[in-house]
Amino acid sequence: MRLFLDFIPVLIWALLAVVLVVVMLLASWVLRPHVLQNSEKTSTYECGEEPIGPARISYPYNYFVYTVLFVVVDVMGAFLWLLSSSNILWSDATKYEVVWQVIVFMLIIMGGIGYVMKMLPQSFLNGEETLEAYRKAKAERKEEPHAAGGH
Amino acid sequence: MQGFEGAFEQVEFLLIAGIVLVLAYLALEHKEIVYAAFFFGFMASFVAGFFLLLEAPFIAGMQIAVYTGGISALIIFAVLLLPRAQDSSLETFASKRKRRIGLMVAAIVAALSGILALLFPWAESFDETFVIISNDLNELALWLWANNGIYVQMIALIMVTSLVGAIALLKMDKAEQIGSIRGDFGIEAEPTIEEDESPVDEEPPAEEPEEVDA
Amino acid sequence: MVPLSWYLILAFMLIGLGGYGMMVKRNLIRILIGAEIMGNGVNIALVAMSLYSPVFTFTGQGLIILVISVAAAHTALALVLMLMYNRRYDTVDLGQPIQKEEP
Repeated sequence: MRLFLDFIPVLIWALLAVVLVVVMLLASWVLRPHVLQNSEKTSTYECGEEPIGPARISYPYNYFVYTVLFVVVDVMGAFLWLLSSSNILWSDATKYEVVWQVIVFMLIIMGGIGYVMKMLPQSFLNGEETLEAYRKAKAERKEEPHAAGGH
Repeated sequence: MQGFEGAFEQVEFLLIAGIVLVLAYLALEHKEIVYAAFFFGFMASFVAGFFLLLEAPFIAGMQIAVYTGGISALIIFAVLLLPRAQDSSLETFASKRKRRIGLMVAAIVAALSGILALLFPWAESFDETFVIISNDLNELALWLWANNGIYVQMIALIMVTSLVGAIALLKMDKAEQIGSIRGDFGIEAEPTIEEDESPVDEEPPAEEPEEVDA
Repeated sequence: MVPLSWYLILAFMLIGLGGYGMMVKRNLIRILIGAEIMGNGVNIALVAMSLYSPVFTFTGQGLIILVISVAAAHTALALVLMLMYNRRYDTVDLGQPIQKEEP
């Protein structure tokens, strides 16, 4: 029995999912009333508030560290998944040499994650610095019309 | 039954190959870079189908876990952090002639390496009648953890290196953090915010005009 | 069974497509996507060779596990470097002239 034949149910479910989505979209397109679309109807729904400004603002770059943390934990989980899907940690022939590998591996990764969590506050501005920068920017913004000629 | 299985495998291979090639082309050529990143994620998850055809179930799972779940998430998140990159009107696309030349060079390189790979001297030994199929995860775990455990520690060190590199690079100039929000509701920050505490009023007008309009 | 040459042809087509993207594109993120497509092609070629080789060992599959892990690490670092490039020069486009440079 080849391996890919075990995955035929997955293929059938994928086809079923695609067909279901297409049929539901088509049915809703057929059944819904086609009324006039204006800017009031097509605007973003924000819990009754009126949307202000563009949605594509740039967020601080520091949040990227969390994604890198996720990827590291992802790779660690993949390695441990291979370990957990085998019995080399339970068979007597190999368990004494493998358990040290696992302990050292976990210590290195957890040490790295702990170091990053410790250094994480230093990559952001703290409260005082944010306040100071905000005040400075506000003062600059107030001075700007005078410098430009006051129009 | 054997003939049916073989024909089914070939049809499945051709189907997945077509999907993967189309998705890879779209990931490179789609105008909006967010869609390009999503198409790359779909392509990476369809490549896992080849690993299932090649009797490597753990590699297929790892491809989906790391490529689709990790790397494409990284790319999509980086695109979200760079609104300038999302604007396709700012992106300079290569001219038609340059694109055609690039496609031709890539096709020539791929064809030459493919011909070399098909003509290489020990091609006869890669015969499908000799293939011994084993998808025993126990053996793979034994190879990786027991026989070659030092590789696992090296991978741990490489992951820690990427983490520390990311935090060190992002920590370098943290004072520019709130400078990245622009527009009517954002504020601009000065790069030397942590050094000067008292002289708030003297420095800003010097560097002001070029900063705000950029 | 699918012959080995089909897998190799597909792998080389993916490598050529990724190389085309890396040669022609100007956006740094698209260049990275091209590199990842090349890496996927290499992975397919390695796993196919390890399955079809006359003496079956798990070396190919183990190597692919290491390659995928290293790919995750280098993608993370490359994207962080792109963020720093964007912060410094205010663009991720290699075709545009550098507008802003800070000391």
